[in-house]
Amino acid sequence: MTRLTGGLIDRSRSLNFTFDGKSYTGHAGDTLASALLANDVRLMGRSFKYHRPRGVVSSGSEEPNALVELRSGAWQEPNTRATVAELFDELEAKSQNKIGSLSFDFLAVNDLLSPFFAAGFYYKTFMWPRAFWEKLYEPAIRRAAGLGSLTHEADPDSYDAGFLHCDLLVIGGGAAGIAAALTAARSGARVILADEDFRLGGRLLAESNPLEQPATDWIAGVEAEFASLPNLRVMRRTTVWGAFDHGVFGAVERVSDHLPTPGKRVRQSLWRITAKRAVLAAGATERHIPFANNDRPGVMLAGAMRAYANRWAVSPANRVAIFTSNDEGHRTAVDLAAKGVEIIAVVDARTGAKSQGGYRTIAGGHVTDSKGRLGLTSVQVTANGQTEWLDCGALGVAGGWNPNLHLASHHRGRPQWDDAAQAFLAQDGAVPGLTIAGAAAGKGSTAQALASGAQAAQAALGDLGITATLPDLPRGEDAQMNQHALWHVPGKGRAWVDFQNDVTVKDVKLAHQENMVPVEHLKRWTTLGMATDQGKTSNVTALAVMAELTGKSINQTGTTIFRPPYTPVSMGVLGGGDTGVHFRPRRLTPTHEWAKSQGAVFVEVGQWMRAQWYPKPGETHWRQSVDREVLATRKGVGICDVTTLGKVDVQGADAGEFLNRVYANAMGSLKVGMVRYGLMLREDGFAWDDGTCARLSETQYVVTTTTANAGTIYRHMEFCRQCLWPELDVQLISTTDAWAQLSVAGPNARKLLERVVDGFDLSNEAFPFMACAALTICGGLRARIFRISFSGELAYEIAVPARYGNALMARLIEKGADLGATPYGTETLGVLRIEKGHAAGNELNGQTTAQMLGMGRMVSTKKDSIGAVLSRREGMVADRRVLVGLQPVDAADPVVAGSHLFTQGAEQNTATDQGWITSACFSPHIGSAIGLGYLENGAERMGEVITAANPLQGQSVAMRIVSAHFVDPEGGRLRD
Amino acid sequence: MTDLHPICALGATQPQTRRFGPLTLAENSELALASVALRRDAASPDLPQPVPGEWQAAGDIAAFWTGPDQWMVEGPGLAATDFAAQIAARAPGCSVTEQTDGFVAFEITSTTGPGPIRALLEKLVNVDAHRFTAGHATRTGFHHMSVFVIRRADDRLALIGMRSAAGTIWHALTDAAEQLEVMA
Repeated sequence: MTRLTGGLIDRSRSLNFTFDGKSYTGHAGDTLASALLANDVRLMGRSFKYHRPRGVVSSGSEEPNALVELRSGAWQEPNTRATVAELFDELEAKSQNKIGSLSFDFLAVNDLLSPFFAAGFYYKTFMWPRAFWEKLYEPAIRRAAGLGSLTHEADPDSYDAGFLHCDLLVIGGGAAGIAAALTAARSGARVILADEDFRLGGRLLAESNPLEQPATDWIAGVEAEFASLPNLRVMRRTTVWGAFDHGVFGAVERVSDHLPTPGKRVRQSLWRITAKRAVLAAGATERHIPFANNDRPGVMLAGAMRAYANRWAVSPANRVAIFTSNDEGHRTAVDLAAKGVEIIAVVDARTGAKSQGGYRTIAGGHVTDSKGRLGLTSVQVTANGQTEWLDCGALGVAGGWNPNLHLASHHRGRPQWDDAAQAFLAQDGAVPGLTIAGAAAGKGSTAQALASGAQAAQAALGDLGITATLPDLPRGEDAQMNQHALWHVPGKGRAWVDFQNDVTVKDVKLAHQENMVPVEHLKRWTTLGMATDQGKTSNVTALAVMAELTGKSINQTGTTIFRPPYTPVSMGVLGGGDTGVHFRPRRLTPTHEWAKSQGAVFVEVGQWMRAQWYPKPGETHWRQSVDREVLATRKGVGICDVTTLGKVDVQGADAGEFLNRVYANAMGSLKVGMVRYGLMLREDGFAWDDGTCARLSETQYVVTTTTANAGTIYRHMEFCRQCLWPELDVQLISTTDAWAQLSVAGPNARKLLERVVDGFDLSNEAFPFMACAALTICGGLRARIFRISFSGELAYEIAVPARYGNALMARLIEKGADLGATPYGTETLGVLRIEKGHAAGNELNGQTTAQMLGMGRMVSTKKDSIGAVLSRREGMVADRRVLVGLQPVDAADPVVAGSHLFTQGAEQNTATDQGWITSACFSPHIGSAIGLGYLENGAERMGEVITAANPLQGQSVAMRIVSAHFVDPEGGRLRD
Repeated sequence: MTDLHPICALGATQPQTRRFGPLTLAENSELALASVALRRDAASPDLPQPVPGEWQAAGDIAAFWTGPDQWMVEGPGLAATDFAAQIAARAPGCSVTEQTDGFVAFEITSTTGPGPIRALLEKLVNVDAHRFTAGHATRTGFHHMSVFVIRRADDRLALIGMRSAAGTIWHALTDAAEQLEVMA
């Protein structure tokens, strides 16, 4: 086939591309589909289930058949519709879903076995043996019945996201959309016009004479005006794919899909458009008419055939027949004939239909069969009891039009059948603020589309108090559609309803026979309307067939509704570019740069990157580093960045009362200059979070939370302040990031700190355990110091403005060289606290009570606090499990967190379960692994040997019950 | 004067600056911040008190609204000082908290007027860029974080976020600005 005359392709620009390795040439302005047709390629894919040869059916985003893999390597993208893939130089496309070549697909054997593969086949077969499903049946079925393949390589493209706001969003850039945008933009309103195509115009580009003047001239004039209007944004290659709450629409702009390489550009942008009003002008999709073997390459929609001829100057064949139930088929015949294509016949289902040109018209006829293994060669026509075969390379089918009302369904609006329009129409208000115009509203003539678009915009802006004047619009063609229902041609052969999912009229009948009658059942039973095209060319036809079978009207039969996305959206763009290390925010501690310079190993702790340990030369295993850090801290002094603990500044006259209510223990009575450990309960009485409260003045506290709960607890406190007790005079603000906080722990901690403080008395008398103070260090830097210990050693936490944290860390290590100053990471932090028996996240896992933690008495009875009452519930109080230490009888045995505890020799089941190990580590101090755990009546069982069972790894370890305080149980060190 | 040497939120001793076409993005390491909240019966402080959604400069300081009876006060160039103490002196009976190092501030300037600032805003935050004119400030989501955005002037925008996430914020800002430059 050579190109036809005319068209909107740029013949001066030739583009080379390949399809299944063979080279072809197209032109700028082509889609892959039009370029393939221009090169006489009708066979573009294989069908989903039967592997039937398939060609392009449509010319737009509704395409069910012509799905290809574009590009190669990591850039390979499966399931791309050839009809919307803009041709570019060196484009590489491959067919998919085949074994062998596209023209000889071994899996085409499925078609011979089709009697076995009817709807519901999978549901009824492969049920036994059950274990075969996952390993054998499913992979085999997926291999045979599928679409494109994934590369399993990371997506090399980048994506981004953005936010737009407007008075009016116009969805669709055809006649109605352009008229709407023009009307609105001239009023001064802020308007966005989004169109999925790369060229504005919609069907105006596909028809021969839609306007009194050449349509492209009018569009060019409008586009020039659009470019001059700062209040209008025209977004080409942008698909509005979802209508969400509050006037928010999701849109994807294909920024560089049409380029050979994106360069530095993103591939696609995800836009969230907040629109006060929207006009849906998405046009309509033509229906086909199922008849026996109607799926051969060359059988396509008549309107698509016109689009290929008029816009892309190509016909799928030199000899073309048309099968129509309305005047649209004749329109195609006239347009193609005018371009020199031989029209074999127009088969019009209407009796008495007249020819509208110099071609043969077969009135009252049906196409009843077709031939051609890899492409159409002839069609069988039956009319008035006579049957004949007509040789043709393509058949255009015109069964009427279905309005593209998908977005109007996104708030669950159910379209209603309209007898006059013979189509489903969206109901008013289906999406608040969204009005529908043009063919999407069943107003399909060009004149109707132009007028309704302009009126919809005017009305929508009127709602906003913006006056818009209807523009002078060109006179458009105004042929009335007169849709005539012909849902399928009865017959014995398989007649496809849904090309993409290989659903035939017989399958619909089978669904009816098996009582899968409701449309939702029909859809799921047959898989109709699923996959990439979401039934754009099949849904209505299928349920009309079902209506016919049940004897109900289409309205009574009803329809399924549509969900976002309107067309497929890549997962990459939904992420909006947040991938890899940028998948989520990454927070660095104030000493990060220093830690990095020391070769620290980092670990993700929520969003934070924390130093896990600091390996030294010669250390080949992390345990060597951690053991060294632990011993160095207990012997000399260790320094750890603990900035990540949440900090909340609590101020106001009622700050103490506020904290009394959120903490289980009393905070109001805390003396100024002192710190108290605090336990917070949830409303249900379980332990939630622990931390410290430091009282800096009568009206100011600094509260710390665990790292994990920093955000949650701050939010909870704000909720309490604003909603529970607005009468309290209290103000909160997070200061987590503001202060770099370093833990300085070990017998030499005081000596080290004395070398940096500006004359501050750190003696035990002047600054005892649990004291706090504001001071200056290193020559006048404001700082805060808290004498608190998480390790059981003499310890302090010192805080400075975050920008000085890095320098302070370096300074402490430098000044403490002779004192054994050693930086330590989170791993050592964990060992130190387990050795001391301090609870952390593993112990505060939401299942534990204050009593289990050995802190039952901390829940004050002298005041009320959140969770206090419920913590005294019978079931809670009766829990006998308490925190204990566990030490393996054989020091070489492991201790595994998560192991469950049983009396030695007892049967091991849930009834005999006595608790579990919460935390475990190797303790260089003890010289073996140790653990903490909750154990029934643990306090009374010191010295008993029990069994820690880890059935997942077949372990059973004899453990001795000991105090949870492996280090300094009397607490003398931290008070020295 | 302390002998400890501070570093900027992005980790270097000097603040980072990058230019993309008409836009310059700069880490503002010298911006001091202090939060001010009115206590019950406190006298009105001697500070700008902009209404919700607004930012207001007054003399050597500026402030933006952060909540009912709450503001964040900015002290350009005052990060090395005890800014919270200075603000507390002007707001007796108020709750004042040092916030300077709680945040990282990025100043964005355009050499060609408001257009590039608006285009960048559209890529950054869900704020109507056309209505977010000079003097507006808001707290909003930004790449799964919470940030303050301030339109200091037609051609100037500031984005203030968690100091610890400075690298993430900077990456997102420069990516967006670079994309605008590439697409220009």
